[in-house]
Amino acid sequence: MMFYDLFSGVKWEVRANDHYFHQSCRRKSFLCFRWGRYADNVVRSYKYTPLTFLPLNLYEQFQRVANLFFLLIVILQSVPIIATIPWYSTMLPLLFVLLVRGCKDLATDLVSLSFLSFSQSILLNSFHLHRSLKTSHISADLLLLCSTEPHSLCYVETADIDGETNLKFRQALSVTHTELNGDSVKQNLAAFDGIVWCEKPNGNLHSFKGELHWKGERHLLDTDHLLLRGTVLRNTDIAYGLAIYTGSDSKILQNCGKLKLKNTQVEMLLNKTVLVILLFMITTALLLAVGAGLFEHRVSPKYDVVSVLQRDSSPAYLGFITFWGYIILLSPSMPMSLYITFEVIHMVHCLLIGWDIEMYWEDNNSPAQARTTTLNEELGQVGHLLSDKTGTLTQNRLLFRQCFIAGHIYGLLISLMLFSPLDLSWNRFSCGGLKFSDQRLVDKLRERSSPECQEFFTALALCHTVMSEWRDGLPHYQAASPDEEALVCAARELGWVFLSRTRETLTISEMGLTRNYQLLALLDFTSKRRRMSVLVRDPGGQLKLYCKGADIVVLERLQRDWPLQESTERALELFAQGCLRTLCVAVRSVPEALWTEWSRTLSQAGTSTGNQETVLEEIYDQMEKDLTLLGVTAIEDRLQEGVPETIATLRRAGLKVWVLTGDKTETAVNVGYACKLMDPDTILIQGEELRSENTDRRAVKSKAALVISGPELAEMTKAPEWGAKFVALSDQCQSVLCCRVTPAQKAEVVEMVRKHSTSITMAIGDGANDVNMIKTAHIGVGLCGVEGSQAVQNADFALAQFRFLRRLLLVHGHWSYYRICILLRYFLYKTTAFALVHIWYSFYNGFSAQPMYESWFISLYTTLYTSLPIQCMGFFEQDVSAKSCLCWPEIYSIGQKEQLFNPLVLAITLLYSVYTSIILFFIPMGILQYSALDYQTLAVTVQTSVLLTMTVEVILHTKFWTKYSVAAVVFSLVAFFLSTLALHSTRLFTFVDITKCILILCIIICVFQSNVIDLKINMNQVNIL
Amino acid sequence: MKNEGKSAQRPDNTAFTQQRLPAWQPILSAGIVIPGFLIIGLAFIGIGIGLFLTSQTIQVQEMDYTGVEKDSPCFRCTIPSNLNCTCEVTFSLSTLFTGPVFFYYGLSNYYQNFRRYGVSKDYNQLTGDTRYFKSRSPEEDCSPYSYDSNNNPIVPCGAIANSIFNDTFELYQIINGTKKQVPLDGRGISWWTDYNIKYRNPSPVNGSLAKAFDGTVKPINWPRPAYELDLTDPNNNGFLNQDFLVWMRRAALPQFRKLYRRITDGDYAAGLPAGNYSLTVHYNYPVLSFDGRKKVVFSNVSWMGGKNNFLGLAYLVVGSLCVVMSVVMLVVYAKFKFSDDDDA
Repeated sequence: MMFYDLFSGVKWEVRANDHYFHQSCRRKSFLCFRWGRYADNVVRSYKYTPLTFLPLNLYEQFQRVANLFFLLIVILQSVPIIATIPWYSTMLPLLFVLLVRGCKDLATDLVSLSFLSFSQSILLNSFHLHRSLKTSHISADLLLLCSTEPHSLCYVETADIDGETNLKFRQALSVTHTELNGDSVKQNLAAFDGIVWCEKPNGNLHSFKGELHWKGERHLLDTDHLLLRGTVLRNTDIAYGLAIYTGSDSKILQNCGKLKLKNTQVEMLLNKTVLVILLFMITTALLLAVGAGLFEHRVSPKYDVVSVLQRDSSPAYLGFITFWGYIILLSPSMPMSLYITFEVIHMVHCLLIGWDIEMYWEDNNSPAQARTTTLNEELGQVGHLLSDKTGTLTQNRLLFRQCFIAGHIYGLLISLMLFSPLDLSWNRFSCGGLKFSDQRLVDKLRERSSPECQEFFTALALCHTVMSEWRDGLPHYQAASPDEEALVCAARELGWVFLSRTRETLTISEMGLTRNYQLLALLDFTSKRRRMSVLVRDPGGQLKLYCKGADIVVLERLQRDWPLQESTERALELFAQGCLRTLCVAVRSVPEALWTEWSRTLSQAGTSTGNQETVLEEIYDQMEKDLTLLGVTAIEDRLQEGVPETIATLRRAGLKVWVLTGDKTETAVNVGYACKLMDPDTILIQGEELRSENTDRRAVKSKAALVISGPELAEMTKAPEWGAKFVALSDQCQSVLCCRVTPAQKAEVVEMVRKHSTSITMAIGDGANDVNMIKTAHIGVGLCGVEGSQAVQNADFALAQFRFLRRLLLVHGHWSYYRICILLRYFLYKTTAFALVHIWYSFYNGFSAQPMYESWFISLYTTLYTSLPIQCMGFFEQDVSAKSCLCWPEIYSIGQKEQLFNPLVLAITLLYSVYTSIILFFIPMGILQYSALDYQTLAVTVQTSVLLTMTVEVILHTKFWTKYSVAAVVFSLVAFFLSTLALHSTRLFTFVDITKCILILCIIICVFQSNVIDLKINMNQVNIL
Repeated sequence: MKNEGKSAQRPDNTAFTQQRLPAWQPILSAGIVIPGFLIIGLAFIGIGIGLFLTSQTIQVQEMDYTGVEKDSPCFRCTIPSNLNCTCEVTFSLSTLFTGPVFFYYGLSNYYQNFRRYGVSKDYNQLTGDTRYFKSRSPEEDCSPYSYDSNNNPIVPCGAIANSIFNDTFELYQIINGTKKQVPLDGRGISWWTDYNIKYRNPSPVNGSLAKAFDGTVKPINWPRPAYELDLTDPNNNGFLNQDFLVWMRRAALPQFRKLYRRITDGDYAAGLPAGNYSLTVHYNYPVLSFDGRKKVVFSNVSWMGGKNNFLGLAYLVVGSLCVVMSVVMLVVYAKFKFSDDDDA
């Protein structure tokens, strides 16, 4: 293999139409073992096959510490000498947990399986030649061979990969284009026998090196020839390609790292508590073992009935044995089924979010969606909401409302209700939909009396990456960003119609006059450059650079001492006050010589290695200078429905709302006022004030909001401790506005808030530029917006509209938090109180690890008797109705302050369970001790008391009695009494013991009733206050 | 069609999915809780008083006959070498001891609830299954009372059976210096389920229960084999012997009493009349080695069982607490209500 030596590192071989070669290399798998080099193209989101399910699932389940712990307990129980209770007592609950969990895993797996086969309607076989159709997602990394477009061009949208929304073109090698295209494309392709040598699969999206060997020639391949999986084909009818990387080998899948599992605060505290319980259990077992040793040492030798049984073992050894016996006996205090219940409840809460019709948006048929199933209770604890502006607070449906050309502002910003459309009947390309109304401009354009205006609209019609498509004799535009679409459409309505583009030409119609521009270069948009330019040769042969971009970047590239500086700035300010998004449009006449030189540098850069992106940026910079301002466009991005109300409610709920936007400060501030982020009389703290020492005091005195811009942020974050100060300051303010921030800075801000405050952060955004932020925050929410699905795919929750956030947080979040906290507390309570009774009994049985309950009760207690009522509570409980949650957002602060689940509450819960266990043991003992009390009677009495106490506890905690809750309680009690009857022979309580037992139960229940009611009344009073 | 497709993902608008299930939402308002507490408290105080008073009417005659003190009648029987020792405990009743009178024996500091002790028996054997006479189901459980030194299987095996309480008592009323025996009724003193379900004798071989026990030996401490436990009543033998059943139902606490006999027959059906009594104890069971105590208890019962002040006191305490709580809550409530009015 010569090629190996020539290209070290190039080790991936793909042979077109060679089925046999690839079949032999197909990756296969059995259980967890894999072999073979090439993955097939089915992405296995599903894990199991019928054969692998059992071993794989069990293996996964026993990776959970809790399950492993109980497996150890079961193993301990099978050692006869320490088996204090029969092996099935723990085995049954463990099997139950494993079974439920296994079913859940299987169900999730089956769902993803059916989903997958649905979405992969065109299933691909590896290394076949592929045909991709217009606007379809490409399903493998393909080498573009030819397409139906001229020069085998192919336009792709990469929004789902890198978040950049402009269209990019890919072109086939000219050799494949000329040889394969033609009338008999299919036959040609079938006969294609090229061999591709390239890099091994890797996650680098922007580089690809390889070569095609065909007909004895070598052709270099680079990333321009590659159609990546996940990109969308646009404006190209059919493209043919050779699959290079398929399935999990494809670049996008190599690139997506493992999902970081998010844990909630509640869960972390729970884990700590379980650890504490474990330590407590071990310590107690140790102390009891010491007790057992002492008993064997002091009492037993004199007491031959017992000492004979121990057969001369040393007290230390017996203590050691007893230790393990007590570990088994106390192990029920570890809430084993808690984790599974926790998961089931989470899942149901997620379903309920998806089912909520009030979070369903009719317009794009999207219900809310919980993509991560572990974060529900955290929805009820959010302290900081960090929101994107564009597309999140606003609709991202852009309307061209005003423009500024040569010192004049055209267009009026009036309500759309009062709007009277222009008469555009003279324009045969008009499609309607223009919300711009200024007859003066139309007159000027029609009379051709203002060259500036004409140039301005020529720039709008040329400087973009929009594609046109002709339907019914009218041009329809496909744009990657809504801004561009709005501008090109506005130009079309006003007579400057973009007709079509090829790779080298742009055709526009200027007031009915069709003109061809030669496209020399396209300096594309990136979020870092924040501008784009086209270099064209106009029909007159002149070279012109049209540039369009954010005002800050364009204004600094203008010729020095440009005219109308003042009025431009005034216009910009005016537009910002109207919450309009502005873009500056500029032009530059390029001398021929400059172009020749520049294009040479550009082509050199294209072949150079190294960081191409920065090199290109520098070269682009050289061209985009000495610009002349043509004008400013003002686009309105209207607020989404219900945004001000939502923000106002969330602020009442105690959330700190931060808005992070790429817009400039004035626009952001005005949007801030418009969406009630700030009150009209709020004082803004910005610029130098942020740094001064006495700002803190001022903020406390009055309503204030912080306004900070990206550059300032970048500068200040350099100073250590600044973050803590800033977050502390922001806590005293109403809200924070961060303007002109880059996507990376958004994430930094989230990180800063996470680091310097204890509260839960939630980030919400809609675009690819919000992905970082969404991933960084505790909870990420994606809006299914105009800008593709990138944000949603990385989010934990997906919503259709910003206003649904109110319901998601205040209703679902609050309920989830309430339900889960109550559930966890009850669980800890019931398991610990249950297990602790053994300790008290051990003082009366010589520390012999004698269980207090009968073994069947131990195994059925968690699984059958006490599981349903609390689960019902976890599903249905409502401490306040949805309406009240929304009416009194202040209720939300319960979660923010962690009032229902914090170390103190947990300590009280555990103390309460200790107290309960004391009552549960000593009252029956005290009452029965002077009678002919046998072990069984005491056991049955205590276990009945335990069960009734736990049931009463749940009854007293339930505030929302649905028929299911009633059924669950009744079921538990009936199950207990029936099984008690079944498991004992007839007539258990002979003699007079039965009356006594009933009386004992009454008193125990009553003791608890009074406690709990008392507790509840206190709570109610707190709530009322 | 189009409409259907458009709203395909529209969630169902049902009470369940929208969390609008009809529900009863009880609110514990002061108006319910305070009177509720008061009523419960008063009811409990009532029950408590009833229980306490009933408990007072129950007569109990309790006598320790261990013989620790040198002047006690059974002291001489505590010497281990003194076999088949008999001692006499006398007592007098000033009033009629209303019948039916229950006659218990009690042991203290005796760990029948010790775990290893508790499992030291073979249930299969005790259901009369002769297959388990020679082999043991869990082999370990009965050890070391499984086989004797000659490796003969012990039936019934295990520590519980071996340690059966073997003191016996006879009760006499002393009328004008002569002893009149009080008939003691040993029938039906065990649990119904034990006697009728859990324990069964092996089927007699050729009409003889003894033959069913062929090839087995008696427990080491027993004077006679299981089929000769009661020489007077042939039906009260084997695993269905009442005293054996009572002993096998192990006690919950280290201080316990077990029913020995009832006094229900003849002249004493109405109870024990006032007068002097003498209890003859056949003293066999050693307890002093582990500092244990033995006693006999005569008691009658009421609807609430035996004498038990604790239950009545517990009811009184909880009842009083409820009343106190209701008063406290009333005060708190009044205060808050008052301040609410002020605010308004």
